[in-house]
Amino acid sequence: MLHRRNLLIAGAFAVVIAGLGLTARALDLAAAQGGGTVQAPKFEVDPMWPKPLPNNMILGQVIGVGVDAQDHVWIVHRSDLISAADTGQEQNPPTASCCRRAPPIMEFAPDGTLLRSWGGPGPGYEWPESNHGIAIDHKGLVWIGGNVGADAQILKFTQDGKFVAQYGKSGQNKGSNDPENFGRPAKIFIDPKANEAYIADGYGNKRVVVVDADTGKFKRFWGAYGNKPDDTNLGPYNPDAPPVQQFRNPVHCSDMSNDGLVYVCDRPNNRLQVFTREGKFVKEAFFHKKTLGDGAVWDVAFSRDPQQKYLYMADGKNERVNVLLRESLEVLTSFGDGGRQPGQFFAVHSIVTDSKGNLYTTETYEGRRLQKFTYKGIMAVPREQGVVWPTGK
Amino acid sequence: MQRCVGATMAAVAAMAAGWSLFSGAPVAAQQRASAPPPAAQKAGAAAAQFTADPMWPKPLPNGWILGSVTGVAVDAQDHVWIVHRGLPSLTARTEAGTGTTPPTAELCCKAAPPVLEFDQAGTLISSFDWPDGIDKPESPGGIAVDARNVWITAAGFPEAPARRGGGAGGGRAGGGAAGGGAGAARAAGATPPAAPPTPPPPPKTDAHVLQFTRDGKFVRQIGKPGVLEGNASKTSLNRPAGIEIDAAANEIYVADGHGNRRVVVFDAATGDYKRHWGAYGEAPDDANPGPYSASAPAAKQFRTVSCVTIAKDGNVYVCDRQNDRIQVFTKAGKFVKEAMLQKDTLANGSVWDIALSSDAAQQYLFVADGSDQKVFVLNRSTLAPVGDFGTGGRWPGAFAGVGSVAVDSRGNIYTGETFEGKRVQKFAPRR
Repeated sequence: MLHRRNLLIAGAFAVVIAGLGLTARALDLAAAQGGGTVQAPKFEVDPMWPKPLPNNMILGQVIGVGVDAQDHVWIVHRSDLISAADTGQEQNPPTASCCRRAPPIMEFAPDGTLLRSWGGPGPGYEWPESNHGIAIDHKGLVWIGGNVGADAQILKFTQDGKFVAQYGKSGQNKGSNDPENFGRPAKIFIDPKANEAYIADGYGNKRVVVVDADTGKFKRFWGAYGNKPDDTNLGPYNPDAPPVQQFRNPVHCSDMSNDGLVYVCDRPNNRLQVFTREGKFVKEAFFHKKTLGDGAVWDVAFSRDPQQKYLYMADGKNERVNVLLRESLEVLTSFGDGGRQPGQFFAVHSIVTDSKGNLYTTETYEGRRLQKFTYKGIMAVPREQGVVWPTGK
Repeated sequence: MQRCVGATMAAVAAMAAGWSLFSGAPVAAQQRASAPPPAAQKAGAAAAQFTADPMWPKPLPNGWILGSVTGVAVDAQDHVWIVHRGLPSLTARTEAGTGTTPPTAELCCKAAPPVLEFDQAGTLISSFDWPDGIDKPESPGGIAVDARNVWITAAGFPEAPARRGGGAGGGRAGGGAAGGGAGAARAAGATPPAAPPTPPPPPKTDAHVLQFTRDGKFVRQIGKPGVLEGNASKTSLNRPAGIEIDAAANEIYVADGHGNRRVVVFDAATGDYKRHWGAYGEAPDDANPGPYSASAPAAKQFRTVSCVTIAKDGNVYVCDRQNDRIQVFTKAGKFVKEAMLQKDTLANGSVWDIALSSDAAQQYLFVADGSDQKVFVLNRSTLAPVGDFGTGGRWPGAFAGVGSVAVDSRGNIYTGETFEGKRVQKFAPRR
């Protein structure tokens, strides 16, 4: 409970801080002393986004979201896991007039209109057993990973769904020091300046891998604290034990900020680790340390101000989006709660921002949604915001 | 790509045209419907049109979430009552983070009590859990509320037995059902589920109706779990699904049900048996009719009796769910007429629950169809569909297993979603 601890510290030293040089952090925390609010980015859910899908399409578990240069929103979902009972229209004979599986990759316009949808097995590449994670690079290409069984590959397509490249071979992963294959890779981030892709690797391996974005050739990889990754079984997570020296599976995100820091989601360890581009450990922070099973640190996205002052973190187990100060990794505020209504979550899995600062989230398991949270500016918000419904203001 | 379904541009354009976007606006229910213009629009002004209210009800307190919602009712104050399956319908590993022992999350989520009362604003104003010492339902079914009482059927888990083994994500939190199916391992990724607790003995088949005060005190029970004496019994039920109060006659009508094939009427004051009947008003038969076929002659028996709803003029509307039909009776059980709805619907069928419109003449029937994911609007005198709204999905105005429906005095429609829908939604008439 980093957030609560710091609140106490801030309370004890509020007077002292007020008399000293004020950092941004101290100001934000001092603000929290008045009325239980804090200055932070404010969001409101848009219950009418996206627009209804055509042709009775329904989504499966939505396990990736990305935004391209035109602010189009891309998702990847597990269309293959939608049950027969939910897809009566597709059964033979049909059992009902609804519904059909939407294709696994879908592109939405900023107004929520479905533009393109495609995906699935085809000649020349190995479609994952279970697709997972989506990113659109600076050249406009669409990258996905896969997180189940033999999945050891990354796929790259044009935005029309034409196959471009595959890196790694299904079934060929040789562990966390394999120089050519991934281990059920979870998420991809592309660094346009260096033309490198950062792979959160993953559900099978315990590392971050950096590859050349044009060739897929491995350039470097590292484990927790920048250690050489090690596949020794760590046993179950124990909140009372000292922090383990390796990542646990899944390593669920590896996203780089404008200033070249790489933020890695060590999901079941309930921690975020920060590295340089070269893999040198910088710092870490823990979140809801008593969270078991799926863990608390699922995905991150950056605010769109030039400094990327804020970091947004999806926690699909406590059903919150946390708003962090990126510099200190302290939680300023959180929003969301469990449930099926707008602004509520069941397993909020992936998160991304568009150029206007709006947030998009996806939900896996039985959540099966894409939601938009409209950015309203920096203002006083409660520490725990609950469900952020539109106020009409 | 082989599975390139792709939206037709015409369909997308047609739907894009209808949106009115501003913060807090209700969602147009018809626009959540499938691509062709819904029948309600074709029928012009004949039937009311409805818009979903995405911000009703208000968020529940205490990190509570709903399980599969099986019943919804409106009382004389226009308060909305729902009953849901609670913890046994939540997925232990992924959904019930603070509701399991030990907890696996710090902030969320645990099952709300099974019976919840909301006011018109959508604020939760009361709730109760099953009292200790009673035959708690394995799964509740329908709910009916009058000035003093809340009646709930114990309906078991009839609709989709496969789901009891856990859908994607692992075993059910209640422990009464077998753990994770094929979906569990895939959804789980590399995180192994915690060792399951020792399962309790399998529950006896739900076969009863429970009467409570409005604050949840047990009053009376009709039938006993596991006591299944068939369709001629005057004392036992078999997975009763729906329930209705006839205040004028002080009688209780039970849709009996998923196991039996009849409507049974009891004295509301004493719980004593009064009468029962099967399809076409004939004596119900214990023989298994096998699966429904759209091309077979009309079944002489009910397949699944999932609702019973009484109109002000005394007509009794019965959902014969898996036969895709509505049958209409007098209160004495004399057959009046019938109508098919979505007769090609297989599996769970199309006629799940029925509510009557709030106008004095009750001109319309609203039929919840949890297979086709729609609410159909029927002309009550002809039983012909004049409109519908809804489609599959998790967004406001879309449905995942819409199995219950009720109407308040102002004409608002409330729906309950079972299975993984786990919602109550409000639809307001567009004025």
